[in-house]
Amino acid sequence: MIRNFIKYRISRTQLLRCPLLLGCCLLMACSPRSYVTLLENTDGSVGKVLVSGEKGSSIIDKPSFGAALDGSSKEPFSVSGERIDQDFKQALDAQPVLPKRFLLYFETGGAQLTAESQQLLPQVLDEILRHPAVDISVIGHTDTAGDAEKNQELGLTRAQSVADLLISKQVQVLELTVSSHGESNLLAPTPDNTPEPLNRLVEISVR
Amino acid sequence: MRYRHILALWLLFSALPVLADSSVIGYVKVLKGEAWLTLADKTQKAELGSPVYLGEQLSTGHDGELGVTFKDETILSLGNDTSLTVTEFLYDPAKTELKLTAKMLKGALQYISGVIAKLKPEAVTIQTPSGYIGVRGTRFLVLVEE
Repeated sequence: MIRNFIKYRISRTQLLRCPLLLGCCLLMACSPRSYVTLLENTDGSVGKVLVSGEKGSSIIDKPSFGAALDGSSKEPFSVSGERIDQDFKQALDAQPVLPKRFLLYFETGGAQLTAESQQLLPQVLDEILRHPAVDISVIGHTDTAGDAEKNQELGLTRAQSVADLLISKQVQVLELTVSSHGESNLLAPTPDNTPEPLNRLVEISVR
Repeated sequence: MRYRHILALWLLFSALPVLADSSVIGYVKVLKGEAWLTLADKTQKAELGSPVYLGEQLSTGHDGELGVTFKDETILSLGNDTSLTVTEFLYDPAKTELKLTAKMLKGALQYISGVIAKLKPEAVTIQTPSGYIGVRGTRFLVLVEE
């Protein structure tokens, strides 16, 4: 009798636990331990993330939605601000100053900055000072007027002239790279032999 | 027996490209607590401004945080107890050779896309022990628990 009673008690407890266990499993499936969460881009736009694992694949296209890394999430799940804070506070905290890109334009044929672009220089210098352990790339471009080889050189002359300007201001940088894309990487696409002010430029990437 | 040797050799060579290219691909911009850079079994403490090389493992301690900005303006920022290696980094917009692959073993990561993802979205992949993440020009967070 007593044995039966004990048995009964045990099965009762098990029965009671079952829904709890089931609840836990469901919860686990809804919020996996390893997951990815999409965020808004720093410019406010929203991209997409694809996750693919042994259990399937998912696409996330809404910010603050997540998916399990093993691909088991059939639908992306919502990730609360608290959970993001709990899981990613330090990773977000370690975000460096966002890189910034400047475009400086040139008069035709040479390495003379346009008056407007010359006025941008103080902003470039301010930006450089905002970045701890800054490294910079200066990339020269030309339009398609004239010979491609000469344009490669002209791009380099333009980039070097901007680099020299920065160096003359005695900015402290880890690395300053100077390169030329000549007429091979047009920011405003044109046919060959086309003068185009928008393609006569130097890009400065401040990181 | 012979197959085992071949497997061992294969494992050895598959790890080699990591050692072959020693170019700087980014710099440490944010550092809190302890973090390390490991290349070819040599580990050194990360410092503000430390160069990051292709194939170098970035890792943070219990209280460590590490922020790296790469040459193409991609940002990877690591929370505590995180370990990650950039195994492929091709950045030459003029030649359209673009690729970024990172292998994340554990921890918490923020990824902010740079020029590689903007010019060629399918060129960026983050591998984790349970699955891989493809990027379509964006910013996201990854948590990998062991």
